[in-house]
Amino acid sequence: MDQLFDVSLFNSMLRIVTPILLAALGGAICARVGLFNVGLEGLVLIGAFSAILGNHLLGNVWLAIIFAILCVMLFSLIFAYISINLRANVIVVGISMNFLAAGLTTFCLRAIFDVKGAYYDKNMMGLPKWDIPVIKDIPVLGGIVSGHSPLVYLAFFAAILMQIYLFKTVSGFRLRAAGENPIAAQSLGIPVRRIQYGAVLMSGVLCGLAGAQLSLGQVTMFTEGMTAGRGFIALVATMLGQSNPIGVVASSLLFGFMDAFSIRLQGFALPAQFTQMLPYIVTLVAMFFFKDRSYLKDAQRANGSSR
Amino acid sequence: MTRLKRNLLALLQPIIAVIIGLLAGAIAIILLGDSVIDTYREMWNGAFGSFYFLTNTLTRATPIILTGLGVALAFRAGFFNMGSTGQMVLGGLAAAITALYLPGPGWMVLIVSLVVGMAIGGLWSLFAGYMDAKFGINLLISTLLLNYIASLFAGYMVAFPLKDQSGSAAMAQTPMIDKSIWLPKLFSGMSLHAGFILAIVAAIALYIFIQKSVSGYEIRMLGNNPFFAAYGGVKRGRMMVVAMLTSGALAGLAGAGEVLGTQHRYLDGALASADYGWSGIMATLLASSNPLGTAVAGILLAALQTGAMGVERNTNVPLEVASVIQAVLTLFVSARFGYAFLKRRKEKK
Repeated sequence: MDQLFDVSLFNSMLRIVTPILLAALGGAICARVGLFNVGLEGLVLIGAFSAILGNHLLGNVWLAIIFAILCVMLFSLIFAYISINLRANVIVVGISMNFLAAGLTTFCLRAIFDVKGAYYDKNMMGLPKWDIPVIKDIPVLGGIVSGHSPLVYLAFFAAILMQIYLFKTVSGFRLRAAGENPIAAQSLGIPVRRIQYGAVLMSGVLCGLAGAQLSLGQVTMFTEGMTAGRGFIALVATMLGQSNPIGVVASSLLFGFMDAFSIRLQGFALPAQFTQMLPYIVTLVAMFFFKDRSYLKDAQRANGSSR
Repeated sequence: MTRLKRNLLALLQPIIAVIIGLLAGAIAIILLGDSVIDTYREMWNGAFGSFYFLTNTLTRATPIILTGLGVALAFRAGFFNMGSTGQMVLGGLAAAITALYLPGPGWMVLIVSLVVGMAIGGLWSLFAGYMDAKFGINLLISTLLLNYIASLFAGYMVAFPLKDQSGSAAMAQTPMIDKSIWLPKLFSGMSLHAGFILAIVAAIALYIFIQKSVSGYEIRMLGNNPFFAAYGGVKRGRMMVVAMLTSGALAGLAGAGEVLGTQHRYLDGALASADYGWSGIMATLLASSNPLGTAVAGILLAALQTGAMGVERNTNVPLEVASVIQAVLTLFVSARFGYAFLKRRKEKK
């Protein structure tokens, strides 16, 4: 057992969980305004690519993150315009956005870097690792919590911030009202559309950060389709957490733990395929226990036929 | 509005979308500094330039049409079946296993293999439907998750128990299926196989089923207005079984057709990485779930993909330009609902 559960397992769990958590928070804020964002996968992919591109063009990691955020915000505006103004089916738009992101990133990879599959530059600097004073000297805790990229800490900070914003501020209350009952909110003078746009843009910011962590946080490279379903997992985390930031943290941690655990299990005599399956199976099983009816209703209301 | 006029109007939107998609592709090509006309000419030649290229396009279209039809049926009933990749992979694997181990005359084994592939694909899809109907697990999410599980499971099967041990290249694949069990080729020396005829027959049969039969009417009603359908006595659970089973069976047939007609063995990752499942979903979205339209859209998407290979062979433009065109196309078709909405608002004024 000591070989299975040690400090580095939990350390890698925090690293793995960060992109999922950031994207899931983006999904949660969209869900709160009544938009079921299936396009998270695509948004994160664009984020991952533009972070590398920004780093290549601007030569600075921090500017690269800002560049990624801006690109993803721009991309999420398309989602907002087509689903809010043109009243298209949100799920169909989300799926198409995923296609577009996959197509654009592979195309740009070929067009800009002239490589196929993956782009890697050994001179490129990734995100720094922060050692937290005092905490890094505490035996077990220090090994787990310290030494991550700043985005890891930012993700958890963002979750707390969002919890406070949604449930303790007037503006957060308005945002929830716009999602709960758009017509009633409208009649109270709440600018529903503007709030919806704000939420989609916010999810763009979060997905941009998620992508940056994915491509700059550990490996400093971009591979085609490197999100590999993380956006969909984030969607599941949003649902499991019932669009509640703290709940989203919990469900993301569950998935991150299973993922880190499955990598660890490969050291044993188990075939890799079965250990890789573990996170998906656990997620599926978890959905049996945490069902969010109101979320389903939202999805149904958003487009009479979501399921 | 007359029927003809309505059909023409329904055609207008996809045509506009195709034009917008090609425009987006043109912008990408111009940004690369290449000639748009040359690139599109190469694309056309790569897709339809000769009889050989045409049959290649139709071969590629076959699995796209079949998975697309499956998704279309589920969409019609109001179920978002995103699991066609997984259903296709398992259908293909099951067909390969049957073809390899079932004794008997070739033609019989071939038919049984196709049926087994359909059955397994259908059951995998039905499993997701069952979890939705019984436990309220969102179909969109469960079918997505089941894709990964199916692909990994098939990967395990061909990497260990079924692995081809013969030959020097020990790839993750099953042994070659006996020649007598292959789906017959339509023209000698060409890749096009009988699966294409199955796909066209399926498209026509599905069209007749949805338009003319009572169950088809109930499925449409369920998708258009679930409350009205419930009021009219349509049982959602029973319809879900029919829709998901058929939907998965068509995806399974697509996988079986690829294995028995094109690859003649199950090769790890070959079905999933070609993105047939997602292309099928795109074809359905383009045709707004009309079976005949899905077949046409499937051929169009396949032509874009094979055409892009021609582009890559003969110009500096990367073949990924096709995925940009496809995605923009789908995105603009999704705005159809908005288009209808604008019209409705105009009428009110």
